[in-house]
Amino acid sequence: MSSRIRENVKHFFECFCEVVPPSENKEAWIIQQYPDKYKDQDSLKSVPQFAYPYKFENTVIQHYSFVLTDLEGKWTFGFCRHDPKSETAIVILSYLPWHQAFYKFLDTTAVLMHSSRTEDLSEFLSTVYNTKIVEPGKEFAISFNRGQSTFIVDVPRPFQLPSIPENRNLTEYYNAVDINNMMLIFASMLYERRIIFTSKQLKRLSACVQSANDIIYPMIWQHIFIPVLPQSLVECLLAPMPFLIGVPEDVFKKVIRSEIGDVVVLDADSNTVDTPFDDLNNLPQDVITSLRKQLRNKSAVLGDGVSRAFLRALVQLIGGYRDALKFQAGQKVTFDEERFIETRPVSLQPFLRKMLQLQIFQQFIEERLMMLNTGRGFSDEFEFELENYSAKSGSKLKQQYKEWTSTMKKEGSAFFKSVKEKANPAMKSAVKTVKDSGKGMKSAYKGFRSKLKDGSSGLGSHPLENGDNKPRSAPNSPTGKRRTLGGLTAPVATYRKEASLALKNANLQRSYSPLSSGSQPQTPDVLDTPRSGSPIEIPRIDLMNEMQDLFPFNLDTPPVDRSLKPVRSLENFKNSSSPLGSPERWPQPPPRPSLPPMSSLTSCQSRFYPTSTHRDTQNLLQSPLEGPVLSPPYVPPRKPPQEDFFATAKPVVVGGGHSENGDPVFYVTNKNVVDVVKLIPPVQCSPSRRKQTDDTEDLIRLDSASDLDDFDPLKTPSSASSYSTPTHSQAPPLSVSNPLYNSSYENHALKANGGLTPSTFNRQDQDLLQEYGLDFNFSAMQSGQPSQSEFDTFSPPSNVVKSQGQWTKFE
Amino acid sequence: MARDYDHLFKLLIIGDSGVGKSSLLLRFSDNTFTGSYITTIGVDFKIKTVNIDGQKVKLQIWDTAGQERFRTITSTYYRGTHGVVIVYDVTNGETFANVKRWLHEIDQNCDVVNRVLVGNKNDTPDRKVVLTEDAQRFADTMNIRLFETSAKDNINVEEMFMAITKLVLKSKLEMKELHNAQNDVVNLREKKKSGKKSKCC
Repeated sequence: MSSRIRENVKHFFECFCEVVPPSENKEAWIIQQYPDKYKDQDSLKSVPQFAYPYKFENTVIQHYSFVLTDLEGKWTFGFCRHDPKSETAIVILSYLPWHQAFYKFLDTTAVLMHSSRTEDLSEFLSTVYNTKIVEPGKEFAISFNRGQSTFIVDVPRPFQLPSIPENRNLTEYYNAVDINNMMLIFASMLYERRIIFTSKQLKRLSACVQSANDIIYPMIWQHIFIPVLPQSLVECLLAPMPFLIGVPEDVFKKVIRSEIGDVVVLDADSNTVDTPFDDLNNLPQDVITSLRKQLRNKSAVLGDGVSRAFLRALVQLIGGYRDALKFQAGQKVTFDEERFIETRPVSLQPFLRKMLQLQIFQQFIEERLMMLNTGRGFSDEFEFELENYSAKSGSKLKQQYKEWTSTMKKEGSAFFKSVKEKANPAMKSAVKTVKDSGKGMKSAYKGFRSKLKDGSSGLGSHPLENGDNKPRSAPNSPTGKRRTLGGLTAPVATYRKEASLALKNANLQRSYSPLSSGSQPQTPDVLDTPRSGSPIEIPRIDLMNEMQDLFPFNLDTPPVDRSLKPVRSLENFKNSSSPLGSPERWPQPPPRPSLPPMSSLTSCQSRFYPTSTHRDTQNLLQSPLEGPVLSPPYVPPRKPPQEDFFATAKPVVVGGGHSENGDPVFYVTNKNVVDVVKLIPPVQCSPSRRKQTDDTEDLIRLDSASDLDDFDPLKTPSSASSYSTPTHSQAPPLSVSNPLYNSSYENHALKANGGLTPSTFNRQDQDLLQEYGLDFNFSAMQSGQPSQSEFDTFSPPSNVVKSQGQWTKFE
Repeated sequence: MARDYDHLFKLLIIGDSGVGKSSLLLRFSDNTFTGSYITTIGVDFKIKTVNIDGQKVKLQIWDTAGQERFRTITSTYYRGTHGVVIVYDVTNGETFANVKRWLHEIDQNCDVVNRVLVGNKNDTPDRKVVLTEDAQRFADTMNIRLFETSAKDNINVEEMFMAITKLVLKSKLEMKELHNAQNDVVNLREKKKSGKKSKCC
């Protein structure tokens, strides 16, 4: 199995330890732990080592994480907090990779350790320990301090890409290491090199190593993985196998480089990579070119733009795995390595052959097959991105998969039934069910077992083999419950099949796309404290530290300070690529003239998206006839969105025409902005579509023309990146951080979410939308959003945004 | 630089957890008392210096955790190693199946890695399920040596490690010769280059 993160985790944390630093004649040791019943001696023995990996001076409060690997290759995460004012360090061991949540937890714990009432700490720890972890996307809330305070963290959703700045690891990595070096490391990971990161700061060290692994999602580093290497284990650097190890600079100084052999070394403090290999140049160049372009697009940095850029590179490289899937009725889905190569462009083939020799790729394939064979279908962020990349093959494949699942269903209905019933179908039980189910299934499984036994399972057949296989999650995603998805049902008519599948995917996308103050828990001390309403004043101890890290990032980002201006420049129009993608992809029947009643407005809103593509918009803007559109609109301070929605924000269609390719286009304005809107009928009610196509378009755009000139800090990021910005307190997936129509948009989204299915779709809605310029809203809101979140970095998520206060900061 | 050895070889030991890799290492290594890290960082190694034909060979034998999760172990894992010790448990057929698959993989993709096949826990005859004949037949088809060992009773362990060390040493010396010979050949007939290529390792 590929996942190295444990599934079905019962406790938020496994163990809390307080560690006394080493003295002259004594090594570091654990002075107290909770719970006492935690008896994993190997882990307990190593905690002090990792808490004090070398002799270091601590002048600021520092959080970092380390990783322990057990005999099965599974990871246990250690979260560590050093406070210069405290004599000891505190450490949490957990199976969950929720860095932000645990840093916050550590801070709360640290405060309670100094509480006058000594029971406070143990009461808090025991409550947290014994409270069941809630489902992804929900709040894990623990009240403490005799009910007067609440500790709240958001449980990360599955399939969520790490975002800047919410994900502190990625933010740290991005700040410390430039994009070229990130790409070098990415490339070397794809060659499974021996890779060393080094830094003076443990925090930076562990964050960079963790992020480097996050960035190769959907793959997972399968080799030695030690984000912080203690001095005592320095000999591990001699390992001949691939590794990714973070070595504190003081430790690394004592290493004789020649003894280690060929390694890639990233110094995260000086932002230098020292490598004997030419891995980056050996990757397919078109992939690298487009990756570089996307990463240079600084306006897309906030949110998951960076993660997504790497994800897209991987989609280009390995997305073709789908063409190599073999569906045979009554048998497990298999992977044909030769087909994988042959179906890909010649230019990619040499690299893909090497790819087959990667453990991370092999495990990726294993995982995909397992997902398919347990009826979970194509259901994560990688697959969505892949669909954007090659929509056509996607639908064909889905059809194939659907047929396959329906056959499987007939032959072994219990198999799918069991999968369906469980929100989190563990592979073990799934395989067990396979064994127990219909005869066909049983014999198929048997057959494949015996194939394995005789050791002849060639490259062509790649059946799932290990009963313990479980899917792995996206980086930082929880190991908790998953949705059961895609292809579980076999609807009657083909068309409806497609629709239902798409809808499921849409739902999934919703679940992944967080709008809330973060499905990633926010920066601990700062963002969450106000929410707790705690009588205990939890000091914002880490704030300066955090700011130091984040500020250079903000200030460094735009070469031109346009981000500070309230005015949306033309580049906004040029780049405010609507969330819907290239028009070729979408069938476009003409809009109907009749208007629906007002009441249907809310319900239908989620169905309609503006589709003015980048190119269309740009062309229009370049035309001298479009005078009104060109004038930079004034953005006034705003009232709360609820009032705004139908009053001041009511857009007016001021003109119309046709774009180059004949699609109807409208110029819509209100007192704030003017935009060009092209309407097409939606294919389905799905925010995921919206996002997907946006991404697609992005891909195309970045590939087709240089984007460097288009740089604008205010520019629309992909809507996907907007999802993760801390602008909302709830999480309706549709409300893509619209600074104009924040809450009302959410409401609509929620309603639409709840009540509608594609079959209730009414074409008239479209016209109404057009009339009210809601499409425009959508594209307009994107433009303001990224810069807003730059300023929001430290703000409490909901209140500030809703007050629209940050807009004044633009002046 | 003053070295206390003539050759340094890095070997890998692979096999499911539970087949006794750690015990084999412990039995063989010099530093019996150093702790094991495999349960905390997923990697461990032991060192031993042996004497072969008057040459001091320092061996590092490396082990990683959780290999059984790999259907195949790809060539990148073996890259940089001189030899592989592939271990199964004679009392557990499944561990043998894994080993067979991995060996096929090595065979297809890393044609220069030296390797030996080891059936460990060969100390309880009535629990043995992987018959010597079967294992031997397989070893023959893969053209590698089979050792049935018991780390517990210290049977055949030393012999096995010496055998792989000799193999590695031999191929190192051969490579050297080949290299020297090649240089000569190149001088005489420029076109003729060695057809032997390593795919990955």
